[in-house]
Amino acid sequence: MTTDPMVVRDVFVSHYFLLAFLTSLGTLQISVTISGARGLWLTPHRTVTRWLGIGLIVAGVLIFYGQPLWIEGPWAEGSVEANSATLAWGQSSWSELSGARNVNDIHGGLDGRTQAIWFPLAAVLAIVTSAVVGSLSLRITKSAELDPGESDPVDDSSDGIAGLSNRSYFSNLPVSWRNFRAEIAGLWTSGLEAADRWSLFRMIFGGAGRKS
Amino acid sequence: MEPIQDDIRWSREEVLNTIDTNLVIWLNGLSGNVKIFDDLMRLIASDYLMPLFFSLSMFALWYSGRTPPERARYQLASVMGASAIGLSNVAVWLINISWDRSRPFVDHGDQLNLLFYPPTDPSFPANPVAVGFAAAAAIWTVNRKLAWWLIAAATIYGFSRLYAGVFYPTDVIGGAIVGVAVFGFTSYLRRFLEPLVTSFIRLMRGLSAA
Repeated sequence: MTTDPMVVRDVFVSHYFLLAFLTSLGTLQISVTISGARGLWLTPHRTVTRWLGIGLIVAGVLIFYGQPLWIEGPWAEGSVEANSATLAWGQSSWSELSGARNVNDIHGGLDGRTQAIWFPLAAVLAIVTSAVVGSLSLRITKSAELDPGESDPVDDSSDGIAGLSNRSYFSNLPVSWRNFRAEIAGLWTSGLEAADRWSLFRMIFGGAGRKS
Repeated sequence: MEPIQDDIRWSREEVLNTIDTNLVIWLNGLSGNVKIFDDLMRLIASDYLMPLFFSLSMFALWYSGRTPPERARYQLASVMGASAIGLSNVAVWLINISWDRSRPFVDHGDQLNLLFYPPTDPSFPANPVAVGFAAAAAIWTVNRKLAWWLIAAATIYGFSRLYAGVFYPTDVIGGAIVGVAVFGFTSYLRRFLEPLVTSFIRLMRGLSAA
């Protein structure tokens, strides 16, 4: 049976997006517990959030590589040994599971360019999910007493990820944006002064930059 | 004198090719003995697992800085790494245009047990290895421990493709060199584009994402 590459690609895109989303969410949770950005934690507790992150990564990988066992695709018995031009459609057997995802991009597998589109989208969705759930989590536990070491002291004027250590994403955003607007002109000017003499923008605007 | 020099040069190339071929045939010859090891190599050689690991490393680096100065260094390295990954694909594509080296299973198909689908693009340099080493080089500038993990992952990725019979050893070595070289180029490109890169990171901070 010859399988239409576009049909195969649709299957791969949806499966890859789920993989990228779950693993990005897991990685983000581990990272923000290291940096202390509580506004992005899915749970109020550092240790629980970190283990949840590890669990999401493991789940993402297991689901992606296990899906051929229960979802039909171009990985039926014998497909692994085929040259992927004549892939059989169906569920994979356990014996061929390890090679089930090895499908050439000309036959519907995902090449690097396609992954470079879907991975950032999944990562952004993971950030949005963390921001929304983290805000709810902070709101619910705001009055609750936190375990020692779970709340990092922070300057009220701090913004960006630093500001997320004691604020939700949505409370932090106006502060961060206000600071950005106040600083960007000066940052650009000092950046031009500090840039290498062969910096493109230094060549265009001059070393002192445009005074604002 | 000239014909003799040509003979010597030709012989050296032939010796290198013979070593390359013998190594891939020997490594691939190890397959078929332990099924679980073959399965593991098929998984690692997959187009998704290791590239995802490299991308997630860049993503983790962006968010894991503990202090503002550390965060700024990590985020700059993350931008550089992501750019180097993209540019290494371009570099590999440019090399592929100038040299269409055939895959080992095309030249020596009767001696190899192919564990992977037969790719149709040129063999040299190994694109997946170039991407892995570009990411590792970026992380090396800020976190040596994490960089060693990436170097190990990229090396195992290259080995798995060798074991599967889709690359020659020199393709893998060439890929590693291309990846590191592209990161070096990216460093200069960043300086050429400053203060745009720093301003981009500052914009992300303004959006509460950096």
